[in-house]
Amino acid sequence: MNPPQNIDHEPPAAEVSQAVEHLFRHEGGKMVATLTRIFGLEHLTLAEDVVQEALARALQTWPFYGVPKQPAAWIMRTSRNLALDVVRRRAVFRQKEAQIVQLMERESPSSDKAIFPEQEIADDRLRMMFVCCHPLIPSEAQAALALKTLCGFNVREISRAFLTTEAAIAKRLVRAKQKIRQAKIRFEIPVGEELGRRLDGVLQSLYLLFNEGYKASSGDRLVREDICQEAIRLTGLLVEHPAGNQPRTHALLALMLLDAARIPARVDGQGNLLLLKEQDRSFWNQPMLARGMFHLAQSAAGKEISVYHLQAGIAACHSAAKDYESTDWRQILSLYDQLVELDHSPVVALNRAIVLANIHGPKAGLDAIGAIRDGEVLNTYYLLHAVLGEFEARLRHSKAAARHFQKSLELAETRSEEQFLAKRLRACEDQIRN
Amino acid sequence: MNTETNNGYMLLFRGNEWYKGLSPEEMQSVSGQWMAWFKRLSEQGKAIAGNPLEPEGRMVSGKNGRVIADGPFAESKEAIGGYFLLNVGSFDEAVAIAKECPGLPYGAKIEVRHIASVCPMSEEPHVRAEPALAQA
Repeated sequence: MNPPQNIDHEPPAAEVSQAVEHLFRHEGGKMVATLTRIFGLEHLTLAEDVVQEALARALQTWPFYGVPKQPAAWIMRTSRNLALDVVRRRAVFRQKEAQIVQLMERESPSSDKAIFPEQEIADDRLRMMFVCCHPLIPSEAQAALALKTLCGFNVREISRAFLTTEAAIAKRLVRAKQKIRQAKIRFEIPVGEELGRRLDGVLQSLYLLFNEGYKASSGDRLVREDICQEAIRLTGLLVEHPAGNQPRTHALLALMLLDAARIPARVDGQGNLLLLKEQDRSFWNQPMLARGMFHLAQSAAGKEISVYHLQAGIAACHSAAKDYESTDWRQILSLYDQLVELDHSPVVALNRAIVLANIHGPKAGLDAIGAIRDGEVLNTYYLLHAVLGEFEARLRHSKAAARHFQKSLELAETRSEEQFLAKRLRACEDQIRN
Repeated sequence: MNTETNNGYMLLFRGNEWYKGLSPEEMQSVSGQWMAWFKRLSEQGKAIAGNPLEPEGRMVSGKNGRVIADGPFAESKEAIGGYFLLNVGSFDEAVAIAKECPGLPYGAKIEVRHIASVCPMSEEPHVRAEPALAQA
């Protein structure tokens, strides 16, 4: 390879990681998508390897020469040159050389942007999103594949987030790629009626990806927050593209932003989970809340109302309250009433019962829990027992409350949940004694 | 470098493989730390030069340089990926700097060598110190 051009010989004042946030990860994801279009989806791994090598070249040279003036363009050009090496060496790709050369010729000497036109890159990334979130790929593999190919996570990071082994994640990725080949999944943005259906699948996968990062029950906290950010970024790319710019996409993005804005207040200094009631609202990320409210307004265009609209509405009610006491529980309840109609999940019904109890008292909450359809699936869910305990405690039924907290404690998954429940249990036991 | 005062030391970064398994995020982070490290050493006057080396090269050998071969010549875990030229007071200080290398936690390997003050070929043969290897 020729010496990299466009390099500043003075090392820059700021470190590269601060200069451009997640530069390698995001540029890498872009290039994997574009090279996949050229090589063909069956050569996804090759595209990943080429981009990995290009990033390795950056790691090899930047520390000595500093960050190039246009780091993203540098990574692109290096990936493209390495891709050319590959197609020239491998007979199967001989006919692809013209395609890459053609891309090279588009490069005008004055502007690096012209190497790959922005729109083409955006299209490639969206195609990749539709592949990763294809309904034929099992959902756990979808998340792993999206994190690997679109977000540049490696197997170790994904396994840390999902609290599983690297081997298990590697297996999921291999199976997902096999599925892509067997089912002849195409690298394309669906059109017409299929677009709507497939878009629902993509939204669902991004929602699950976000939740995977958001749920505090397990895994490495920093990696998980990164996953939330990546889910937000991908959904943001979706709303910016004509094929994804739908009211429900805006609603999903609003929901993610409004929830993620509360992350900084969710744990205390010791890493203990804090209830909404206990959170210091000054830690909420205000710019993120504002972005969330913006997309919530965008989502109101058109007639459709999706589960994302309702959940974003609920999140917005919490964000709009200046303190816990001024929460508009009636508005939240009316949104939950609509949500249980669209989403029959017992977990949604359990959340509705909590809201109901906040308005009509703990007895109404207990009745609502008793009336949950398929409520027995919640029996192994620690939160059901924690909520029952809370309601009983408010009714001063200390013995019943203690029983529920005890059961909940047995099912809790994290240390902070356990500590919280143990504290509630001790309070009930104190009351029983006095 | 000042060979007359005997302060020249070379850090040789060995291996072209250790960063291959890193995620893009980790690579960016190492790259940023490395850049800051090199910048600090330059500002302190401790690093005089530093360059990465391309993996490919040519080997010239044979009488009158008749044999020229292309290719990487060392195993990639042994190949020299780059170097720093240091101007510091002692071997210990050079080793201490090598120990700060941000690549160490990921398996980078640094060879520390003292630049000879006088060409050793012109001196009496003597026992040479083994090169010190700073390793994770």
